[in-house]
Amino acid sequence: MDLQLVSLEIGACLLGIMVLLVDLWTPAERKAQLGWWVAGGLVGVFCYSFTIFDQGTGTGATGYVKDSLAVYFQGYFVLSAVLVVLLTQSYAARIRSGISELYAFTCFALAGMSFAAGANSLVLLFVAVELITITFYVLTSFERHRLRSLEAGIKYLILGAASSAIMVFGIALIYGSTGALDFHGVARAANGLNDDSMMLLYQLGVLMTLGGLFFKLAAVPFQLWVPDVYQGAPTPVTTFLSTGSKAAGIVLILRLLADACPPLLGEAWLRQLLALMAAATILYGSLCALRQRNLKRLLGYSSIASAGFVLLGLVTLSDQGAQAVLFYLTAYVFGVVGAFTVISVVSEESSDEDISTLANLHQRSPLMATVLTLSIISLAGVPPLAGFMGKFALLRAAIDSVAVHPVMPWVIGAALVGVVISFYYYFTVIREIFWGKGRFWAEEAPSTEPLLCPRAAEVVLLTCLFGLIGLGLFPEPILFIAGEATEYLFSAN
Amino acid sequence: MSKEQIIRFLPTIVLLLPLISAALILLFTQRYRKLSAGLSTGAVAIGLGISIFLFASQGTDNSEAGSDPKFTWLSIGLAQNDSPLPTASGQENFALDIQSLNDPLSRLMLLIVTFIGTLVHVFSLVYMRKDKGFSRYFGALSFFVFSMLGIVLSSNLVMMFIFWELVGVSSYLLISHWFEKPAAADAGKKAFVTNRIGDVGFLLGIILIWQQTSSVNIAYINSVEISTLAGLLIFCGAIGKSAQFPLHVWLPDAMEGPTPVSALIHAATMVAAGVYMLCRVFPIFTDVALVTIAWIGAITALLAALMAIQQNDIKRILAYSTLSQLGYMVMAVGCGGAEAAMFHLTTHAAFKALLFLGAGAVIYACHHEQDIWNMGGLRHNLSRTSITFIIGALALAGFPLLSGFFSKDAILMQAHLSQKPLFIIGVIVAGLTAFYMMRCVLVAFFGKARTDQAKEAHEVPGEMLLPLIILALFSVFLGAPQIGLADFLNLKEVKASHHAAMIWGTVAAAVGLIGGYMIYRNADKDPLPAKLGAVSRWMRDRFYFDELYAFLNHWTQEKLSFASDWFDRWIIAGLGVKGTSGAVDVTGCLIRLFQSGNLQTYALLTVIGLLGILAWILF
Repeated sequence: MDLQLVSLEIGACLLGIMVLLVDLWTPAERKAQLGWWVAGGLVGVFCYSFTIFDQGTGTGATGYVKDSLAVYFQGYFVLSAVLVVLLTQSYAARIRSGISELYAFTCFALAGMSFAAGANSLVLLFVAVELITITFYVLTSFERHRLRSLEAGIKYLILGAASSAIMVFGIALIYGSTGALDFHGVARAANGLNDDSMMLLYQLGVLMTLGGLFFKLAAVPFQLWVPDVYQGAPTPVTTFLSTGSKAAGIVLILRLLADACPPLLGEAWLRQLLALMAAATILYGSLCALRQRNLKRLLGYSSIASAGFVLLGLVTLSDQGAQAVLFYLTAYVFGVVGAFTVISVVSEESSDEDISTLANLHQRSPLMATVLTLSIISLAGVPPLAGFMGKFALLRAAIDSVAVHPVMPWVIGAALVGVVISFYYYFTVIREIFWGKGRFWAEEAPSTEPLLCPRAAEVVLLTCLFGLIGLGLFPEPILFIAGEATEYLFSAN
Repeated sequence: MSKEQIIRFLPTIVLLLPLISAALILLFTQRYRKLSAGLSTGAVAIGLGISIFLFASQGTDNSEAGSDPKFTWLSIGLAQNDSPLPTASGQENFALDIQSLNDPLSRLMLLIVTFIGTLVHVFSLVYMRKDKGFSRYFGALSFFVFSMLGIVLSSNLVMMFIFWELVGVSSYLLISHWFEKPAAADAGKKAFVTNRIGDVGFLLGIILIWQQTSSVNIAYINSVEISTLAGLLIFCGAIGKSAQFPLHVWLPDAMEGPTPVSALIHAATMVAAGVYMLCRVFPIFTDVALVTIAWIGAITALLAALMAIQQNDIKRILAYSTLSQLGYMVMAVGCGGAEAAMFHLTTHAAFKALLFLGAGAVIYACHHEQDIWNMGGLRHNLSRTSITFIIGALALAGFPLLSGFFSKDAILMQAHLSQKPLFIIGVIVAGLTAFYMMRCVLVAFFGKARTDQAKEAHEVPGEMLLPLIILALFSVFLGAPQIGLADFLNLKEVKASHHAAMIWGTVAAAVGLIGGYMIYRNADKDPLPAKLGAVSRWMRDRFYFDELYAFLNHWTQEKLSFASDWFDRWIIAGLGVKGTSGAVDVTGCLIRLFQSGNLQTYALLTVIGLLGILAWILF
């Protein structure tokens, strides 16, 4: 195997190990500053790996592929990892044990995600998922002095283990029925299946494998862990969960469906299942978020609803839908990172995550108020911001496929209802920023003291601001790259 | 660029200067009072200079009505360079050119607006000196001048309508300049809303004309036949802006604004815009439309003159007089005498601005006392002001050989040519006008000082006197045949009617003046209520129009609002919005029960979900 092909993954792992080593010689008060180096290193590694791709290396022999889809997602993962590392740095004061370990684990998780982006066989799929998930078990419970963090870690561990078990069972069934592990081999073998019971086993296997991936994506009925884990985990970890980990699930689902399941793509039940899950996920996320006062939990539910929108793009099982999903994710990352960064800074100051802590934010820190407002508006899908273009692309893909699939109008209807409901809880946040009166039982009025934003968080916020507006006004370049990445994904079959 | 080309740009420059000044003041120089006032005054003064130049160099030259720059604002169904005039093929071709109009009528009006505007600006420098909204006042004043000039220079009805509305806005801003006074704020609102009623008609008229002729170009529509209905709808705009019956109620209340504003807007220019507009599109009116216009004008003139007799506030007397004179002009238009109307508009602008500024000077000198019965004997302390005021009053009363005499004469002649009843009403109004002006002058300036304010009044400073003196000169001489205004307007004379008008007009003025003198000589309180009884009370209470409107409002609009409020509150908000959101909320609460936080429950539910899917798909 050509090692250059996996230079990004190797680079990320090396970077993580280097951080751990450098940590030994770094004075305690300067350890947080390592974040700049990690972020810079990640960008450098990504650029290097990109030059490899440019030289036109293709599929490796061992179930790893570096095609344009993989590169798109790797770029996406590096982007979110860089933002998360910078966010981690501004969060450092609350980490009592080993900030460097947090950086290192982020790098390891990135390596896992990067493998997931290029995974082309069931083995690599499982390994990549486990690399991500096990890293996140540690990350989630990283604030060991906080009970909630530990609780979240335990919940994630047990539910994650259960879902891994389901997935590995599914992989075994697929291997048992088709005798192949790489996606194309599975597809070839499945096409040749004429034994009904073998076909049943194959379908069962695919469904259970998908179930394990839907757990990452947080789609109904695999979404129950999300609010508790999002709330309990350290904020940078929550951010990475909702951007990186979720997207890893998406890219694997895309690949699994497109490459390993061609015989099933024509089946009505697959679309019906995806459609039902999309509608249920959107509505579940939106409805549960109503009246939610904890900001991280609120964004957790919002993240469930977003998973539903991603599913909406998947239901179409078309290149256009996949393109929309890719664009939606990119737009989504700026909104989510922007929102979580502000929440992280605000909640550090007040050691509280209640929505009322946002009161007077527009006086305390205009920059943070602006970015949070725009992030929320973008998540809600109001033009001309990035999130609007994402939702627009998804809905357009869905509407274009109405002719192909009769269930589609119902899903679109559910999505629209979900959007309307989501406006309510999203704008609750904005109302709290500008017109909030603080907790209603609080004696004194909410503070109007200026709130300082750490330098690293400022960089993140400005990046998000740039991304939110830039992608909203000029979506064409990213849409084009996403289109390149998903060309012939489904239509090749 | 040749001289001609530069001249073609001049009207647009006059138009844009006040806009620039308004923008600068409102955006940048709010804090610098003198700079703001200077900008505003300078803009209108330069405009006056250019207007004089245009008027002097081009006179009645009507050959070239267009001016630069010209650009197509809106184009439907035709290419950029096509003719804006409709083709035979139909309605879909439509272009809206924005261009300033430069013809004798607009040049005259340009001169009036910038001339009165400049004097009012100068007067305001002193009058508003202590006001804390000084800069805002001048900004709004500049904005008004811009809007008014826009109406004057409009070459099509849509452009005119836009400026028509802008004038409404700036008038609203200026009437409610002292917005902390509830009466001023209410008056601004009343003026705005009342004007809107007329404007809706105006807009409908424009749409109807467009539908009939597929053009809104004024030059074009004047050359084709337009239905009576469209003409009357256009007239609705004039009813609102020129405060004609039955929408006359806003003008007296508009006197809550600063007095210089009353002089500029509510006497000389804005309220004249309606009359100007009627003259501008005069050829579109059919005979039926003209008769209606004439009678509306006559009724307004008569009612307002009667109301003026029993008012005690000096500004309100002048306001009702303005109403009455506007009615006169509208009547002249209705009788086919657009030229006579413009003639009276011009002279009236001069002497009514004079009277208002004079009233402003009196009010300023008497420390904001406006009731004429609390004045008296002012001619001793305010000799120069009172002389100019008396000149204005005499001009308004139609005293022979003053400007008002000639223009009133022209209108009466038109009425005599048209319908005898209108002529009779015109003569009666002339008499009433002389009567109430005599009353006003005698009570305020003669006799003994009735209050301390009147006793201690001092002559106003030179900046205020100067505009008065200039206006007084114009009030005296503007109408004289030697000045040539009548010739400029191409006023035609018919011997017999002219004689009748002159004789009866002079007799009426004499009767009015003498009657007023007899009754109000040395009067300490108004003797008229005792003599006329109920009639005098009706006049004082404006024939109860406001009460009538309030009553109608109460029984129609308020009841309708009440019903729709109920519908909105209970059906739409209660059942529709609250019901939906409540249902959503409850569903959310129920679903949230899944998120118990219990790990075992989560695991169980996840597995049940998975099994459910498998069961559904596979079996």
